[in-house]
Amino acid sequence: MGKKQKNELLKVENLKTHFMIEEQKAKAVDGLDFHVFEGEFLGIVGESGSGKSVTALSILRLIPDPPGKISSGKVIFRGRDLLGLSWEEIRKIRGNEISMIFQEPMTSLNPVFTVGVQIMEPLMIHRNMNKKEARESAIQMLEKVGISSPELRVDDYPHQFSGGMNQRAMIAIALSCNPSLLIADEPTTALDVTVQAQILELMTEIKNKEKESAILLITHDLAVIAETCDRVMVMYGGKIQEVTSTINLFENPLHPYTKGLMDSIPSLTKKKKRLNAIPGNVPGILNLPPGCPFNPRCKHRMPVCEKSVPELLEVEKGHSVRCHLYNGEG
Amino acid sequence: MRKSFFSPLFIKRIKKFRSFKRGYYSLLIIGTAYLLSFFSEFIINGNALLVKFDGKFFVTLYNSVSLKKDIFSKSIKAREDYFEYKTSLAGDTLNSKNEKLLSLKSKHELYDRIKKDFDNHRTLKNILKEQKRGDWVLLAPYPYSPNENLLDEMGDKNPPTKPDGQHFLGTDDRGRDVFARLVYGFRIYMSFSLLLTLTSYTIGILFGAILGYYGGKVDFLGLRFIEIWASIPFLFTVMVISSIMIPNFTILVVILSLFYWISMARYIRAEFLREKSKDYVQAAMAIGVSDRRIILSHILPNSLTPVISFLPFTIISGIAILASLDFLGFGLPEPTPSWGQLLSQGISNLSSWWLTLSPMAAMFLTLILIAFIGEAVREALDPKIYSRMR
Repeated sequence: MGKKQKNELLKVENLKTHFMIEEQKAKAVDGLDFHVFEGEFLGIVGESGSGKSVTALSILRLIPDPPGKISSGKVIFRGRDLLGLSWEEIRKIRGNEISMIFQEPMTSLNPVFTVGVQIMEPLMIHRNMNKKEARESAIQMLEKVGISSPELRVDDYPHQFSGGMNQRAMIAIALSCNPSLLIADEPTTALDVTVQAQILELMTEIKNKEKESAILLITHDLAVIAETCDRVMVMYGGKIQEVTSTINLFENPLHPYTKGLMDSIPSLTKKKKRLNAIPGNVPGILNLPPGCPFNPRCKHRMPVCEKSVPELLEVEKGHSVRCHLYNGEG
Repeated sequence: MRKSFFSPLFIKRIKKFRSFKRGYYSLLIIGTAYLLSFFSEFIINGNALLVKFDGKFFVTLYNSVSLKKDIFSKSIKAREDYFEYKTSLAGDTLNSKNEKLLSLKSKHELYDRIKKDFDNHRTLKNILKEQKRGDWVLLAPYPYSPNENLLDEMGDKNPPTKPDGQHFLGTDDRGRDVFARLVYGFRIYMSFSLLLTLTSYTIGILFGAILGYYGGKVDFLGLRFIEIWASIPFLFTVMVISSIMIPNFTILVVILSLFYWISMARYIRAEFLREKSKDYVQAAMAIGVSDRRIILSHILPNSLTPVISFLPFTIISGIAILASLDFLGFGLPEPTPSWGQLLSQGISNLSSWWLTLSPMAAMFLTLILIAFIGEAVREALDPKIYSRMR
């Protein structure tokens, strides 16, 4: 990141998204601060239930209300607070300037429309194209995402596509209006490993071609992060635990949780070592432990961990961590 | 390279539908009958289709005003001519041998006779035929109108008269042709039912879609409204309204639609509740599709199961409800040709079996054919047939 100072494309400040479940407040995302630079490939990694997807949905205000509610915070995109916009205005941003790819390609496409029609839709909504132009564009998009004989496949229904092809089609829909931010919510989770690799390759390729647009990749797979991202954000219990560049994260993880994650990656080089797992489970979102949410599972637990939530501190340039271990030393 | 206009799946379903012979032929029969019924004025009509009179043609399919005017003015003219000539010859005793006077007299008498009977085109035809002046009347193949009173032609018989060669299904207690009334009634009943289904489904689908899609308070209030609305006894309401004002076709469709949408709204609401949580809806939101478009073009096509399965039954019940209202005397006003009204005549004239049997048979046939179509449509759309697991 050092070479040139890039502009902030998206800045999230103190985002809190809460769900009311049976009269109890579930703090799915609790005070999130981060930013995405223009043209950056940012990864968000974390276990299930750590608030990754809710973060993504909150940015586009797709949280189902009720039960969910974005109770405070700002999502500033190109100088405008998305949370303060009217529905009409946010609708103009969705799919146009910020678009999203979902986890399940097989169910994220409408079964009653052809793939082509679904790629044409954002073009007709946001670019005011007529049917013919939109169809041409849709065919180009399908070609761009690597679907062979696109002029034939454009009239196919999602059930005639394979999972990987559907995900390519989803990417084509998301990219059709040249968004400046693409949010990919676990785009490879539902796919098998070879297809996963192809999709990631496609995304990196797109990233390299479209220098302007930034990608926010959400995953629970560190390998995916390692392959693609410039910078990583580790989430746990609805909060950021560590942010740094990908290389730094793998070489020098600071947070005990990140260290735990690193240790639980199986290695080809080290012999016959039993795989280290982080003990315990992700705490239920309704009964987060007091203090640091990770404290019951942490190896380095101190008395202070149960009392107060640590602050996110910048330990070195471009490397912040939320842990009491680094509180005193700085 | 563009594929055909219809998707291959649609073509496959059409083929499947055609393979269900019973339903397919039912559709052909009902479809042809309904289509033909729009031309029933050409087939079953007491009015002549075309009249040639004194070298002029008159289209008398719907009304014969111009023909009447013509005959009227000519008859006045002939009368005037006759009397004028007669007075000019006053005192002449050879009156009876004056050829001109005789021809004027016969013309005057002919026009007078025609004038007396020109409402009945069957008589008009006979008169003109007798005259052999090159005038003719083209009657419909079945020359009786549904609302035409035939008492004058019955001679010493009293209505209702039995079926015979002239009146295939006899006449009713007011001397009107039953067959003509049945056919015109079919057109009215089918149109009524289709229109009622269309309006009530539109209301029901929109209402249900809004409740299911928005959920929360909208859903809560909407459901309470449906519960209250559904508890209004609808037959009584229709009766009360019909006794306050004379209902016509449109008013009846409106009143019945107000009650008929409820069940469809419930089904569509349930479908929407299920469909809206699916990923493709969220994906559509994420590309900035408006609520209206999501409801109408994304979720609705995926929620049409109840519509398809209930459609034939709704059409059937539309016909049945109109028949029962007509039967009770709260339906379409007299003298609209109506099956229910015929049935109620049949009850009061039990010995005239044709009054009960013919509308019953007509209703039975129509309803069962529609049910067959519905069955075939459902079978054709059933994905089970294509699946490999049996």
